[in-house]
Amino acid sequence: MISRVEIHPGRYHDSVRLMQASKALQGVAGVTDALVAMATELNLGLLADMGFDMDAVSVAGPNDLLLAVRAETEDAIAAAHAVLDDALTHKIAPSGGLDGPDPKTSCSAADRNSANVVLLSVPGEHAFVEAMEALVTGRHVMIFSDNVPIDQEVTLKEFGVANELLVMGPDCGTAIVNGLGLGFANAMRPGSVGMVGASGTGIQQMCCLLDDAGVGVRHALGTGSRDLSEDVGAIATLQALAALDRDPSIEVIVVISKPPAPAVADRVRAAAAACTTPVVVTFMGETTLEEGAGEVLALLGVAARTYGSWEAVQDDHRPGLLRGLFSGGTLRDEARFVAMPALGEIGKKEADPGHTFIDYGDDEYTRGRAHPMIDQTVRIDRLDAAAADESVGVILMDVVLGYGSNADPSAELVPSIERAVAAGAAVVVSLCGTRGDPQDRDRQADRLRSAGASVWLSNAAAAREAARLATTRTTA
Amino acid sequence: MMGSAVESPARSDVRVRAVASMAIRDVVTAPMGRALVLGGSSHAVWLDAGDEVIVVSTADATRLPNGVEIPLDAATLPFDRVRHGELAAVGSGRIELAGLSVEVARWWDPRPALPRVTVGALWRAISWLPGSVEGIDPAPMRASLCAGSPSGLLAAAESLLGRGPGLTPEGDDYVAGIAAATRALGGAAAHPFAVRLIDAIEVPLISMARRRTTTFSADLIRYAVNGGVAAPAGAFLRALAGRGDVGESHRALLDVGHSSGPALAAGMVLAAHCLVISHAHHFGGDQ
Amino acid sequence: MSDLSQLLDSDPVVATAGTEMLAESIEQQGSMVSRADWSPPYPGTERALIALAADGRMPAANSTAIDRMMSVRPSLVDVRVARDVFGDMTDHTLFHAGPPLEWERASGPMRGAIIGAMLYEGLADDPDDAAARAARGEIELSPCHHHGAVGPMAGVTSPSMPVAVVADAAGDGVSYSTLNEGLGKVLRYGAFAPEVIDRLRWMDGVLGPVLGAALRSGGPIDLRSLIAQALQMGDDGHNRNRAVTSLFLRTIGGVLVDGTDAPVAQRQEVFDFIEGNDHFMLNLVMAAGKLASDAAAGVAASSLVTVMARNGTDFGVRLSGTGDQWFVAPAPPVDGLYLGSFTEDDASPDIGDSTITETVGLGGFAMAAAPAIVGFVGGTAAGAVRRTLAMYEITMAENDAYQIPMLEFRGTPTGIDAAKVVRTGVLPQINTGVAGKVPGTGMVGAGLVEAPIECFAQGIDALAGSLTE
Repeated sequence: MISRVEIHPGRYHDSVRLMQASKALQGVAGVTDALVAMATELNLGLLADMGFDMDAVSVAGPNDLLLAVRAETEDAIAAAHAVLDDALTHKIAPSGGLDGPDPKTSCSAADRNSANVVLLSVPGEHAFVEAMEALVTGRHVMIFSDNVPIDQEVTLKEFGVANELLVMGPDCGTAIVNGLGLGFANAMRPGSVGMVGASGTGIQQMCCLLDDAGVGVRHALGTGSRDLSEDVGAIATLQALAALDRDPSIEVIVVISKPPAPAVADRVRAAAAACTTPVVVTFMGETTLEEGAGEVLALLGVAARTYGSWEAVQDDHRPGLLRGLFSGGTLRDEARFVAMPALGEIGKKEADPGHTFIDYGDDEYTRGRAHPMIDQTVRIDRLDAAAADESVGVILMDVVLGYGSNADPSAELVPSIERAVAAGAAVVVSLCGTRGDPQDRDRQADRLRSAGASVWLSNAAAAREAARLATTRTTA
Repeated sequence: MMGSAVESPARSDVRVRAVASMAIRDVVTAPMGRALVLGGSSHAVWLDAGDEVIVVSTADATRLPNGVEIPLDAATLPFDRVRHGELAAVGSGRIELAGLSVEVARWWDPRPALPRVTVGALWRAISWLPGSVEGIDPAPMRASLCAGSPSGLLAAAESLLGRGPGLTPEGDDYVAGIAAATRALGGAAAHPFAVRLIDAIEVPLISMARRRTTTFSADLIRYAVNGGVAAPAGAFLRALAGRGDVGESHRALLDVGHSSGPALAAGMVLAAHCLVISHAHHFGGDQ
Repeated sequence: MSDLSQLLDSDPVVATAGTEMLAESIEQQGSMVSRADWSPPYPGTERALIALAADGRMPAANSTAIDRMMSVRPSLVDVRVARDVFGDMTDHTLFHAGPPLEWERASGPMRGAIIGAMLYEGLADDPDDAAARAARGEIELSPCHHHGAVGPMAGVTSPSMPVAVVADAAGDGVSYSTLNEGLGKVLRYGAFAPEVIDRLRWMDGVLGPVLGAALRSGGPIDLRSLIAQALQMGDDGHNRNRAVTSLFLRTIGGVLVDGTDAPVAQRQEVFDFIEGNDHFMLNLVMAAGKLASDAAAGVAASSLVTVMARNGTDFGVRLSGTGDQWFVAPAPPVDGLYLGSFTEDDASPDIGDSTITETVGLGGFAMAAAPAIVGFVGGTAAGAVRRTLAMYEITMAENDAYQIPMLEFRGTPTGIDAAKVVRTGVLPQINTGVAGKVPGTGMVGAGLVEAPIECFAQGIDALAGSLTE
C-alpha cells in the first residue's frame, strides 16, 4: 500500500467542489482512501484519523489545498492525480444562455468543437496567420483562398511536414476526408480509392466517373494549384501520397494535376513507383481523367465501362465554330487536349480567333462575384451571346454539381440552352456529378437534355462529341 | 417491417442531415416502413426497424455500428419529444421521429481497416492490458480461442451471453469484443486459423445471441462477427495493429457506456492475446 | 514518415473562417462545424503579424510567459516606508501611474495628486506654490511601473508614504503598492484638501506601522488564495473588493488583536479603517498583479501584455517581448455612471495602474464573477458574462487559480495576447473609477473603458521588429 500526502499552497477550491473531487478519487480503481480538502484544522484532524503521515502537512494552513491518497500501486496514484485534475479543472461548456460572442479566429472556433481541420477562405493576404496558428495548435489546414504568396505556402507546407500535419492549398477548392467533402466536393460512398489532387475539378471529375462505375472514394486530398510547381516542389503531394500509401483502407491511389513542372513530375512519379499501393498518375496534357479512371477500375477489377450520357438528337445544327464555356480549369484543359487533335488550335482567350475554350473560373472573370460553379451569370451571358452569334455552331459547357456548387444549375441554364438550340446551335454539356449529390444528378441531366443539350458524365466524352459535331458540319 | 410507404409519425420541426453506418444501409435505404421507439436518452433513441435495431444518436455520443449520427449535441435536446413505444419511420434514406426528420447524407464503415501486423508487435501492444473484467472468468474463452475450437468457443459464449444488466449486458460486450478482434486482427496478422474459426461460429453465435439476449445486443454481436464495431473500439483495434496510440485509444474505449467499453476492450485484448499464443503454438515460436 | 492517421482515420471535425458556403456544405453532409466570425486585422498590422507567424517563436515564448505569470504566488509580507524600499527615490521624487509623463501634459487629477503629495511631504506651502514648483521642474516624476510598483488612479507615491511589500512565495520577485485611502475625496483621485493630507499623515503614522508589525508577526498572507476565494464571493478584483477586503480583515484580525505592540486605540483605528473601506484590498490585489506580470516580462518574441496603465493623459502598454518600451495612445474617456450631480463633462480621461488587474485576468476580465456590480458598470448579469467570455478570445490561458462559478468554474481569461487583440479587434475590457478633471475634485463616478487598439498595434509592430535584432 502506498500513501501520498501533498500540499498545494494557496490553491483554493470551494468545499462542495472538493467533496465531489474526493468522491471521484475514491472511485478510482486501486485507491483505498482519499481526501481532497483545504488544510483546515478540521480536515487535518480527519487526515490524522485516516492514519496518514502528518509530516508533510506541518506547515499547511487553511488556504492550502491538501491532497492525500492511499492506493495499491503507483499507477493508481497516477490515475488519482489525473482524476483530480479532471475534477478540479473546468471542462463543461456553460449552458443556458451563457453563450459568449462568436469566436473571432479560426483557432478559437476550432477550440469550441475540438476541430482537427481548419478550413480557411479568408482573403489570401490574411490566410497565412490563421493557417500558421492552426498548424501550431496541431490542426490540419485547408486553404480555399487564393492569392497567398508562394513563400508563405512553402513555409506552411514545410511546417506541416515537420509536424505531421497536412496543408491543403492555398487555392485548394476540393477535398474529401473520410467521405466528408470540403469545399466543392461530390457526395461519395465510402470506398477504397484515395486521391491526391492539385486540381479541384480534376478531383471532382474523377469522383464522378468512379461513382458512375460504382466505386467509392475515401479520401481526396487537395494540395492547391501550385503544389507541383518548381517553387513548391510537390511538398504536399508527396506527403499525401505517402500517407495514403500507408492507409490500410486504401487499395488504389490516384494523383491528379494540371501539367506539372517537369522535374517535379519526375519526383512525383518516382515516389508513386515506390509506393506499395498501386498509384495511377494523371497529369493533364499527358492523359485524360477518363483514361485515369479506366486504370483505377482495372486495378480494382471493375469492368471497363462507358460513362453515363443523356444524348439529344442534334446533328442538324448550324455549322460554325466551337465555343467552350467552362467553370473548371482542369475540365477546360482536358477538353482542349481531347478536341485539339480533331480541331487544331483552340484559343484560351475570348479574343482568340477560331474555336475558343474559356475558363470562366479564372480571376479575370470572378472579380466581385462568386465562382461560376455558384454564380452562373457570366456563363449564361456568354451562352446567350454564342447563341446569337451565327459564326458559332457548337457550344460546350461544363456543369459541376456537388456540395458548394449552385443548388440547381439546370434551372438557370435551361432557358438559354433552349434559345441556343432554337437558334440552331448544338449544345453539349459535361455534367460533373454523382448520384448522391444534393442537386439530384439525374434530374439535372434530364432537364438539360429536355432543353436540347447532349449531356455526358465524362468530360472527355463531351469534348469528343462537341468536336465531332463541330467537324461534321464544318466538313459537310 | 411493413412494406408500404407510411406517413411520417408526427410533424417534424427539425430537419437534419446525418451520417449513418454502412451496416444498416439496407434497412435505411429500403422503401420507408414503420419502426417502433424502443427507448431513448438525451443522447440516443433506439428504434426497432423490423430487421434491425437502429440507434439515432447525437454527435457527442459514441458512434455505434448500427448508428445514425445527427449533427446536434445532446444539450440541444433533439429527442425531447420522442417517447417510448411511439411509432417512427425508417427508409428511403430517412428516419422520421417525433419532432425530428433525419436524412442520411453520408455513410461510414464500422469495420476498421487494419494494416498488416506481426504477432510480435501485437504482443507488445497488448501485453500490459487486462483481458478480463470483474465477474467474468476468461479461462474457458481463452482455452477455446487458443485451441481454435469452435464448439468450445460457442460453449464459452453461451455462459456469457445475456449476463449482466443493461441494454448490452457485459457478457455480450465481452463476446462482441472477442469476435470483432478475432475477425479483424486475425486477418491483419495473417493468423493461420482465426478467420476460419470466426467463420465457423458466425451463424450459430448469431442465432444463440438472438435467443439469449436483447435484440439490440444480438445485433451488435452480428456486426462484431463481421468486424463492425463502435468507433472507439475500431480505433483501439487499429492501434493494436500499429496505427494510433494504444494507451490513448484504450482509455477512450474504457469511457464508453457504463460497462460496455471495459468489457469490449477486455474481450479484444483476450482475443489478441490468444492470437499471439496460438500463433506461437502453430509455428513453434515467435516471429 | 508520417501517416497522417490522425487526419485519415476518422471523420474530420472542421472549423471554418471565411465563406459561409463552406460551413453550410459541411452541415449538409451531416457534420457539425464551428464558424469563426472572422474580420481582417487592424489596418497596418498585417505585415507584423505575418512576420511573427513566419518567425515561429511566438507560441512557445507566449507559453513560457503565461506560465511564469500564473506560477507566481503573491504573499503580503510587510508594510514599509517608500523611501526605504525604493533605492533611487529622492526627497523630490514622486512616482505616478501610467506611462512616463511631464507636468505640462498632466491631467487635472494627476496634477491634483502631485500637488497633494507635495503638500503632504512639505515640498510646497500651498497648492499654487506646489503647482508653480512642479511646473519649474523641481519634482522628479517617474512611473510606478519603473520601480516594481503600482498605484491606483493617479498612483502618486511619495517618499513618506507606507507601501505594501508583496513577495513571490514561489520565486524571488517583489512588488509594491501604496495603501488604499478609501473613497470620496482622496489623493489618488486628485483631491488635496486638508482632510486628504491629514488622512495620509495618519496612514504613515498609524496604519503603516501597525499593519507592518502585524504582518511581520502574523504574516505572510497568501494573496492569491484570498483573491481566488473572493471571486467566488462576488468580487472582480478591481471595482468590487468587498469580499477580499472582508477576507483580509478576517485573516489579519487575530494578529491585530494580539500580534502587535501598538496601543489599543491605534489597533482599533486600523481595524475600523479597513472595515470601512471596501476598496482597501484593491491596492494589494494590484501589487499581486504586478508581481505576476513582472515575472512574465522579458521573454523574447512574446506578445503577452505585461502592463496596461494610464496616467490620465496617455494609455500605455508594455509587452513581454519588447522589454521596457511603452506603447502609448491618448487615454480614452470612461463610459460611466456618475456620483451626485457630476456628469461626463466633469470626468478626466482614464487614469491609473489598476488595469494591472485586467492584465492578470481580474477586473473587467472577471466581470462574470461579480454580478453585484453589473449595474454599476452599465449592464445586466448576462452582459457581464458575455464581457468575460469575450476576453477568452484575446487571452492565452484560463487562470488555474481564479475561477468563475457562473461559468462552471472556468478559470478567468488570463494573459492578454496583443497579437490576438489586433487580429480580432476585441479590446481589453476595463472596469474603472472616474476622477474629476478639475484638480482637487476627487472621484466623480465609475464605469467601463476599452484599451485603445493603437497601443497594441504599435506593440506588435515593435515585437516584429525585435525578431531580427
